Formats: sequence, structure tokens, C-alpha cells
Amino acid sequence: MRYVSSELLATRGLVKEFPGVVALKGVDFDLRYSEIHALVGQNGAGKSTFVKVLAGVYSPTRGEIYFKGVRVSIRNVRDAKKLGITLVHQEATLAPNLTVAENIVLGTLGKNGGVLAPLKTSDILEIARKYLEIVGLSIDPRTKVGVLGIGEKQLVQVARALAEDASVVCLDEPTSPLTAVEAERLFEVMKELKARGKSMIFVTHRVEEVFAVADRVTVLRDGYKVFSSEVSKTDPSEVVKHMLGREIERFYPAKKGAEGGNAGVPRLKVVGLTTSQDGKGVILRDISLEVYPGEVLGVVGLLGSGKTELGKALIGMNKIVKGEVYLDGVRVRVRSPVEALKLGIFYVPEDRRREGLVGIMSIAENIILPKVWETSELGLIRVPRREVSVARKWIEFLKVVPPEPNFKVMYLSGGNQQKVVIAKALKARTKVLILDEPTFGVDVGAKVEIRKLIRSLADEGYSVLLLTSDVDEALALCDRIAVLVNGRVVGTYRTSEISRDFLVELLGGRGHGS
Amino acid sequence: MARKLSLSLSKLGRPLRELLRYELGGPLVALMALITASSILSPRFLEPYNQRILLLQTAPLALLGLGESMVILMGSIDLSPGSTMALAGTISAMTFTRFGHPLSVSILVGVLVGLAIGLVNGLLVTKAKIPSFVATLASLVAGRGMVLVLTEGQPIVGLSQYRVITEEVAGLPTMVWLFIAFGVLNYFLLKRTSVGLVTYAIGGNEEAVRYSGVRVDAVKLFNFILAGGYYAVAGLMMNARLEVAYPWTGWGYELDAIASCVLGGITLSGGVGSPLGPVVGAYMLTLLTNILILLGVNPYFQWVVKGFILVAAAAALTRGVRYVK
Repeated sequence: MRYVSSELLATRGLVKEFPGVVALKGVDFDLRYSEIHALVGQNGAGKSTFVKVLAGVYSPTRGEIYFKGVRVSIRNVRDAKKLGITLVHQEATLAPNLTVAENIVLGTLGKNGGVLAPLKTSDILEIARKYLEIVGLSIDPRTKVGVLGIGEKQLVQVARALAEDASVVCLDEPTSPLTAVEAERLFEVMKELKARGKSMIFVTHRVEEVFAVADRVTVLRDGYKVFSSEVSKTDPSEVVKHMLGREIERFYPAKKGAEGGNAGVPRLKVVGLTTSQDGKGVILRDISLEVYPGEVLGVVGLLGSGKTELGKALIGMNKIVKGEVYLDGVRVRVRSPVEALKLGIFYVPEDRRREGLVGIMSIAENIILPKVWETSELGLIRVPRREVSVARKWIEFLKVVPPEPNFKVMYLSGGNQQKVVIAKALKARTKVLILDEPTFGVDVGAKVEIRKLIRSLADEGYSVLLLTSDVDEALALCDRIAVLVNGRVVGTYRTSEISRDFLVELLGGRGHGS
Repeated sequence: MARKLSLSLSKLGRPLRELLRYELGGPLVALMALITASSILSPRFLEPYNQRILLLQTAPLALLGLGESMVILMGSIDLSPGSTMALAGTISAMTFTRFGHPLSVSILVGVLVGLAIGLVNGLLVTKAKIPSFVATLASLVAGRGMVLVLTEGQPIVGLSQYRVITEEVAGLPTMVWLFIAFGVLNYFLLKRTSVGLVTYAIGGNEEAVRYSGVRVDAVKLFNFILAGGYYAVAGLMMNARLEVAYPWTGWGYELDAIASCVLGGITLSGGVGSPLGPVVGAYMLTLLTNILILLGVNPYFQWVVKGFILVAAAAALTRGVRYVK
């Protein structure tokens, strides 16, 4: 329990209990002056909870927090900010309707002269410019935050933390929505801040990022601290081993798919697909591709390449202005998800909480929802017994944990939520399964399981369109890969015929590993 | 005596906690508390005569609440109940008195008027993509206007034949049987049919339901139409009870309808609450007025009390939520 005075921030025996779950089970953690300390772990390991406790979002159940050698109690966000601890949230927590400058000064209001102190526009702009420069953002501070990209928003959040005079900046998975280039830029900013004497706790689940930017690394697993080391004295496989708590069996399943020729009629054929200008996001231009039965076709593209837009266009959520779609050789028009479902095309969204599931409903209800009339008498009257038994079949097949049909989906882990969305698709007798980043935000163990599942579904005859930014995942899972850059397919290749380096080069940057 | 009381209370504790775990648990506990308090405050409260009046007053409001709940459970809101019930009641009454059609036809016309307004609301929301608050606000205003134009502001008299709805059958007025029947129907529809599942799902996460390929707009339209039908039945009940169709019938009732839902445990953000909630809520709301009258309190005071009760109910519903808008 002795406290070492060279540390800026320390926790001893930190415990956080939620109703039914103990998220942190006694964590000892130290943060030095001018240090980037990476905090890694699988989903549900407690990393987010930990930084949220430090930032006053949650108050700890038990345990001690020391700041500059003094025991402190952090009961709310204001307490944390007074100490100089600020959290940059996973989702940008900026007001999109206000300008960059207004957002930056928002947190400093009330520091000098109270909330009623007059705001001078020129002062605000000057403050904003100062901090934007530190984070290397060359945008007009009068820009509305709503029009910024996600990477820029992250940096604005960092600028705001600096404006609040934070000495400890906690970054909660800041890189997960970023492209490789944007992530690099963030790392540069982090190093710059370190040079200026700031300390950072950097939460991530990408091990390679730890080695790119951090000085020390701490691994959490199931709410315990299981490993902590100087980054220079460890290596990625040791860190991953501690994250998993067991040897990685095999990250990727074996492929036995249609490596040979794709004879016959493609299940899904897209010719010259172009989406309308008025929609949000990337415009797709002249996309042509084919997916055969039993095949996994990877559409590999970085964030902003248009892969999500492609998935949504194929189920009629994005308007197609030109091009044809053929299903089993027959031309079809898909103007809405209703029509897509009828044809057997199902899109499993990347943002499964928002677009994939009804959180307050049970696993069973979510699974049967798309074709609820099939389990109903006369297509109308629900038969709970039938619903539960159908759901149980899919729960068993996909190994959803817990295997309780009546369990509410919102309480499931990311990986299990993903399985429920896939179960929805399979229950609806989908022929073409479009998976958008199916292993995003899913812990490593579940990643392996979901990848195995994708492969086995293809082997059973499903046609899978895998939209991913993970080059290794694509190479390991797909029979063929189409490379998507800025809304265009720049090439389609047989996986066996291309190398990782070539693929990365095509994408114009570094591909994310897992 | 005091010890005995606390003993019986602790005995009561367990089943009470058990009851609170159900969707309708909270409202039922509140209802029991209100009934107990009222019967202690006024011995006349539990008399059959008083209860009969209470149930007759509850009936139309319960129907409005049931309709409103179909909309609120989807995460939308309907401000048209009051005007819809008035317009349905008025046109039905005119069909009967001015145009001399038989009662059955007049009732049918009234119901059709309600369904039509529901259809308009539904189309405004699903096709014109106008937020339900604004779309139904327009119906609230325009609907009342139409009533005033049609009646020239004068009540329509001579509706004694509507009394069949208030006549007793098997010990209770038909009207009370009607609202019990509609309550059961609503429960069946929302809890036992696929339309009901989709209704709850839309309230839970509309985006996800759309991506699933479910006909969201069709279900929305259906619910708005059915809600209009419920309001129309309430309007016909008013005709029967008063034997007069007043142009100001249902003025401000949209708020009572929403309050019935909230008191009945239906959250305004959608997706949560029992289909029977509005019936319990409507009874509680009527009971409050009733007991205040029995106690001889200034009748204007009822609005103040209702306001407090509403806040208490809403606070109980949002317990555990971090913030609301």
C-alpha cells in the first residue's frame, strides 16, 4: 500500500461494482509524469470503466486514488476536472451545432468569473486557435463541429482537454473509428503532448498501437490487472497472451471454400452500381462484383471508402441511381430492406447497437423479428413456445452466451450481440449475407469464433459479402477480395494470388491488424 | 397496535416486491394505495353508486389512453385524441339527428371518422415525414375547428337512443363492459400478435427494425388508424352518457390521455409499458377528481393535484435513467 512519490496518479485496490457485475476487482495502477500509459484488454476487461472512474463518470465502490501524492476522492466529473483529469470519450462528446471554438471553451466556462462572465468572440477564437495549433489541426475555429470528420472531432476533444488545463488525458479507444492515417496523426499529437509534460492513459484493444506510441502498458482481464511492463521490455505476443489469458489457438479458421473455379451463375451480381449524390457519406461509382454460392467475397476498404454505403445500397437503404443487381441470374430491384429481406439479402450492420438490435427486447424476440409472422399462427398470433424453441436452435448453433432466449440483448457482450444479429439473418433464410465489420469491437476470443462461423456458413452454401478494413481478416477469410478506394473498386483478386503488402499498397496505407 | 401494523406491513413487503417486478406492478401498487387512502378519507368512496359513476367516467378516458398507448409505445405522440373524439361524436350525432339514419349506421359513421383521422395522422407521419407531435397538433387544431364549423358552436341534442351503451348488462353498464373488452383486445394485440411485437420493437429501436426488413411504416399507419378508432369509441360513449354532443367535448383530453399512459407506467420514449397500463392510469386519474369532489375540495384544485401525481409517476418511471430531454 506504500505510495511512491514519483508518480502523478496512482490507484490502489480500485473496485467498481455495478448491479450484478463487478467491473473492476481491485486494480493497482500508476501513471508517471509525462508518460503515455497504454491500457489494453479484451472487451469487458474493465478498461473503459477504469478511465471513467478516474474521470469521475463513475464513482468507485472501494479503493484509493492518489494524485500527486495526496489521497483524493473523485465523486463526479467536476472533481476530476479540478484535479486536471479529463476523459476523451470513445464517441465524440461535442455539440455538433456549435462551432469548434465554442466547443473548446465550453469546458472552461465558469473558471474565470463564473458562468455569467461575458464571452468575447475574439477571445474565444484566440483560445481555440492556440489549442488547435497544439493538436495540429488547421481548421477554422468558426467551423461547426457537425461537419467535421471523426478524426478531427477526436482532436478537437483533445484540444478541449488541453484548454481545460488537463494534466492527465484519458483517451478511451480513440483510434477505433479512425483511419490509419488519422491514427498516425493522433499518435504524433500524443507524443507532442508528452513532450509538453502531459500524461496520458491510452485505452485500446489494438496491440500494435501500444508499441507505436506508449511508454508503458498495463493489461486488464476480467477486472484484474494481470500484467504491467515498460513497452521496451515486452513484445506484442506477450501482451496478447496476457489479454487472452490462454495461448491463442488459431486466429483464423482453415479455408476449404471454393478456391478452385467459380462455375455457374453467381448468386449476387452487381453491374455498374452508382449511388445518388444527395445521400450522406461516400458516393459509390460504377461498382461491379459477383458473389458465388459458398463463397466469401471480401470488400476491403478503409473507413470512408464507401464499404458501409455499399452494404446499405444493396438492401435499398442508399439510393441506387445507375447499375443493375442480379440475384441468381435474374435482375432484381431492391428499393427497401423489406424487398431485400424477401429476396434473401440481409445486411448485418457495423453499428449493431443502433442499427442491428432492439436492446430492450429479448434474444428470442430479436431473432424472430424480421419474419415474425413465420412463427405466428395465421401470421398474426404469436406463439411464445414456438419462438423460444426456434431461438434456442440458433442460440445453440451460434453458441450465444448466456443461452437464454429470454435474456435481454442489451446486457450481452459485443460478440454475443453480433451473433444475435447473424442469427436474425440466418433465421430469415438469407441467401446473401452482407457482414459489415463483423468483428469490430468484439473481444479476441469472440473474433476467432465469428471468423470460424463466417467460413462455415460459406462452406454450407451461403454467399457472404464481407465488408472489412482489416486486411489480415480479409486475407484469411475470403476467397476473393475486391479493393474499394474512394467509392470505386480498384481491383478484384483471388486471395491466393495476392500478398498482404500488395493489398496494403492498393489501399494506400497501413492496414489494421487484429 | 403499531407493532401489529408494522408486522403486517413487513408481511406485505415480499409479495409487494414480487408484484413490482411486473410491468404493471408499479401502477397497480399505486392504484391500491389510492383506493385504500380514498376509502379511509371518505366512507362514500367504495359505495357501489359512487364506483359505478367512477367507472362510467373512466370508460371514455380509458379508451383515449388505450389509443394513445399504441402511439406512445412506438415512441411517437398523439395530440389528437380530444378533437378526434369530439369530431367522431359530432358527425355520428348529426348522422343520427339531422340525416335520420338508424343508430347502428350513426355509430358506424362515427367509428369511420375516427379511423379516417388516424389514417391522416399516420400518413402525415409515415409519408410526409412530419414528426408526430406536429402532425397530430395540426389534427388537434383542425379537428376542433371542423367540429365548431359543423355544429356552429351549438350542442346537438336528442341522442337518448345512444343510451343503449349506458344500459346495464350483467350488473354493469355496457360502456364498462366495452372498455374492459377493449382493454383485453389491446392486451392481446400488443402482447400476443406480431404487430404488437413490431410496435414494441419500433419504440425500442426503430432504426434496427428498419434494417431488419420489417414493414415499419405499415405498422405505424395501422397503429395510428386503430388509435383513431379508439378515440371515436370514446366520443360515442360521451354522446351516450350526456345524450348531447357538445362541441367542446374532449377539450384538453389529449393531456389526460397522455397522463393516463404515464400513470399506467408507459414511458414516453417508447417500447416500455403494459398494454393495460392506460386503463389503470385512467381509473386513477378519474379517482383523483372523484375523491376531491367527495371531500368537498375546490374542484379547480384537481388540476394542481393531478400535476403533482403526474410528476411523481414520471419520476418513478425514469428512476435510474441518467438524464432526459
